[in-house]
Amino acid sequence: MARAMAGANDQRDQTIDLDEPLLVERVRRGDREAFGKLVDRYSEQAFAVAYGFLQHAEDAEDLAQDAFLRALERIDRLDRGSPFGPWFYRLLVNAALNRRKYLARRRMEKIPEGTTGPGDPAADAERAVLRNCLASAVDALPDDLATVVILHDLEGFTHPEIARVLEIPEGTCRSHLSRARRMLREGLKELRHP
Amino acid sequence: MVNQREERPLDELGVLKAPPRSEERRRAARGRILAAAAPLLQRRRRPASYWEVLAGWARPGLAAASIALLLLAAALQFTGNGEETVAPVPLDEVLATSDAGRVPALLVAINEPDADAVVAAALTGNGR
Repeated sequence: MARAMAGANDQRDQTIDLDEPLLVERVRRGDREAFGKLVDRYSEQAFAVAYGFLQHAEDAEDLAQDAFLRALERIDRLDRGSPFGPWFYRLLVNAALNRRKYLARRRMEKIPEGTTGPGDPAADAERAVLRNCLASAVDALPDDLATVVILHDLEGFTHPEIARVLEIPEGTCRSHLSRARRMLREGLKELRHP
Repeated sequence: MVNQREERPLDELGVLKAPPRSEERRRAARGRILAAAAPLLQRRRRPASYWEVLAGWARPGLAAASIALLLLAAALQFTGNGEETVAPVPLDEVLATSDAGRVPALLVAINEPDADAVVAAALTGNGR
């Protein structure tokens, strides 16, 4: 898991390129190639973050797409010289929180995908139960706590990165994470042993 | 004081991570995003209207006007109150005579005479 987090961080570090303000300027003028480069840089992480919230691959792809389109519509609101990443992830997270509420009922009725595989059916079933329990526990968290735990523990964002995305102090981010983990542990215990 | 913070991440949370996507699926998703973005990008490529250009220049224009006003105010502050100063006409000029007789000093004076010169010319009868 630590390696996965390091990989995610590396991916984000690569996105903070010096030419990014130029790309944003070109996108402002309607440059398709520049927009394509931004999509290439952020789409995989955007999909992963969206999946963390929605636990559904197609919904996550739709959400990532919507976030890119919303970013394109509002690109003039991004201050010149400001990094695209935190601003884009903020749009994505807000959209994800809205979509999460909308899809909550549907997701609860479905068995999450990717729970079965060629392995041991008993292990797959156990994994599916765990996924359901965890997804329910994350769903039960308040929005701000769920966001921090998904970005930090699932996607490997650092506290300063999350603070920039959510526009909150780092200390608040840390306390949110601490509370979220505690609530998740308690929720998971209750779901497993009601 | 007991540290209430729960520092350990949940190991089980990893099962909620996104499954890896195939290259084909990534390309398809990218294609969908770019196709959906095409009309928005097209709209951005159209020539800007008069009002958009004006709005774009509004902020730098206001800043430039403010700076110009400040410079003007500073220039006025350092060069006095802006009124033209009148150089006094020397009394010698007022009292000057010529071979052809006395020339009215107030007529030949290069600069506008001040009050002293007018009084002196009147007293000496050289003002006409």
